[in-house]
Amino acid sequence: MNGICHRILTIGRNTFLDAVRQKFFNALVILSVALIVSSRFFRQFDFGSGELKFIADFGLGAILLFGSILAVVATAQLFYSEIENRTALTILAKPVHRWEFLAGKFLGVFLLLAVFTALMAGILGIMLYWRESSLMDRYGDQFGGQRLVSYAGLAGFAVLQWLKLGVLCAITLFVSSFSNTNLYSVVVSFFVMIICQLQYIARDSWESIGNPALKGLVWGLSLLFPNFQMFNVGDVMLFPHDATEQLSAGTPWMIGGYGVVYIFVFVGLAVFAFRRREI
Amino acid sequence: MEAPAIRIHSLVKDFRIGLRGWKLRAVDDVSLDIHDNEVYGLLGPNGCGKSTTMKVVLGLLEPTVGGCEIYGVPSSQVKSRLNVGFLPEAPYFYRYLTGRELLKFYAKVCSVEPGKIKPRVTEVLEMVGLTEAADRRVGTYSKGMLQRIGIAQAIVHDPKLIILDEPTAGVDPIGSAAIADLIRALKAQGKTILLCSHLLAQVEGVCDRVAIMDRGKVVLEGKVDDLLSKHDQQSLLVDTFPEAARADVEAALAKHGAKLTGVTTPRISLDDLFLKHTGKGGPKQS
Ligand SMILES: Nc1ncnc2c1ncn2[C@@H]1O[C@H](COP(=O)(O)OP(=O)(O)OP(=O)(O)O)[C@@H](O)[C@H]1O
Ligand SMILES: [Mg+2]
Repeated sequence: MNGICHRILTIGRNTFLDAVRQKFFNALVILSVALIVSSRFFRQFDFGSGELKFIADFGLGAILLFGSILAVVATAQLFYSEIENRTALTILAKPVHRWEFLAGKFLGVFLLLAVFTALMAGILGIMLYWRESSLMDRYGDQFGGQRLVSYAGLAGFAVLQWLKLGVLCAITLFVSSFSNTNLYSVVVSFFVMIICQLQYIARDSWESIGNPALKGLVWGLSLLFPNFQMFNVGDVMLFPHDATEQLSAGTPWMIGGYGVVYIFVFVGLAVFAFRRREI
Repeated sequence: MEAPAIRIHSLVKDFRIGLRGWKLRAVDDVSLDIHDNEVYGLLGPNGCGKSTTMKVVLGLLEPTVGGCEIYGVPSSQVKSRLNVGFLPEAPYFYRYLTGRELLKFYAKVCSVEPGKIKPRVTEVLEMVGLTEAADRRVGTYSKGMLQRIGIAQAIVHDPKLIILDEPTAGVDPIGSAAIADLIRALKAQGKTILLCSHLLAQVEGVCDRVAIMDRGKVVLEGKVDDLLSKHDQQSLLVDTFPEAARADVEAALAKHGAKLTGVTTPRISLDDLFLKHTGKGGPKQS
């Protein structure tokens, strides 16, 4: 047991190192930081909570966009380069199970995503705090003496985003485990991501489907593809005072659990598909 | 009796090529036993199935028919590889790691005790002659250096069985000689080595037994000494050999019913010449 954890962690750490030493990751981080910081300079004339919301939306959008790109491209690239360079051969020729190899790969990218979301959320938090403080000085009456942004909410939301990106990473790993080219994995994974983002539409129309067979099919598909809409609770978590309805204390935990379940499902599917692959 | 280091029994490996289920038979009914503490060479032309055989032995490919065992444990089980090191052909490693980091990584994956990793890595780097380049990124290595770090990677966890796919491809004669020495040293330590190559001159010097493969089949197998010596002929080495002496020798031989079939000047091999004149080669590092 100890040995298994040790091997998975070693492979994960190596994957992480691989990613961090690539120019792609650094460029993406710089770009996202620039984007988040630049939101400050898009002048909004509705000072007060409106401006803070704008900065938050912009920042969370940047995290989601670049995080998704990172999750898909990094997973596909890091996995594919192992096959391409035959380094997977040297690892699997050691006493390493194939599932340990995949778990290690996943863990490495998951760690990368953790660093990415923490960094971005941290910068966003600093931006918000700084802007909020100076707005409070000038327009104190709008704030009623208390802060509008819930920073604990931001941290919690960042964790949820991280789990969501983790699901995306697991999906990409699954696609990569049977695809033969990098490009194919990237394209298919993005496609799946779009389905996951939009599947709430299918869920909404589910009620109105009459045919039971079709209804069952849509239901099955909506189970297979995780519903990414679940994770869109940023507004409520960041600005609890403005929100019309509050989240119950358990909801974020439930959403997180939902993400974790899908991570296990897709990594499991990846292991299954990779089990007999000829490398 | 103890199980052989590697036992391959009636192994067949088909590759599916194309969509219509065409099959290509890469390995065709191969059975081999490789004994403990033996250096075994797998020889043959390109595409005859040497690498495929090795990969099946390592459990990287699944056999179509038949199977392999390593020290009695079937290759399909991960624990058969606890004591195995492998150098793939044309190896290519994590470019962003330095040589030393790379070896540390592989040592950790193989669960070498944490305290022993550092001295072992240094020792192995020394063994393959990469001490000077140890702290450079693997991405900057030359082909021969990659081959050396590959061998280092295969032996870093001190395995009992070492499988080397073309260990000397792209390595200069000095390096090849060093690798041959290394293989002999490993044998002296009690290791078993399976290697494949088509550089026959080098194989001859290190292998105890060889198998020659052609189109997936083993066509010849046996001890190198048995296969190569011509038992019905002997050669003499003489310092100066005047014409008159030759006539006398022929006469003397004729008395015993033997015949002198030829007189040649022995030549040293080009390899030896190269080694003699280049000394320790390779570019100097500043
Ligand atoms: N993954 C694969 N898919 C399809 N065919 C393959 C695959 N791997 C190898 N082959 C085929 O199997 C045969 C044997 O290949 P193998 O790599 O074992 O040859 P080899 O003896 O190692 O040759 P070389 O000396 O060139 O390394 C070749 O005809 C090759 O085309
Ligand atoms: Mg080969």
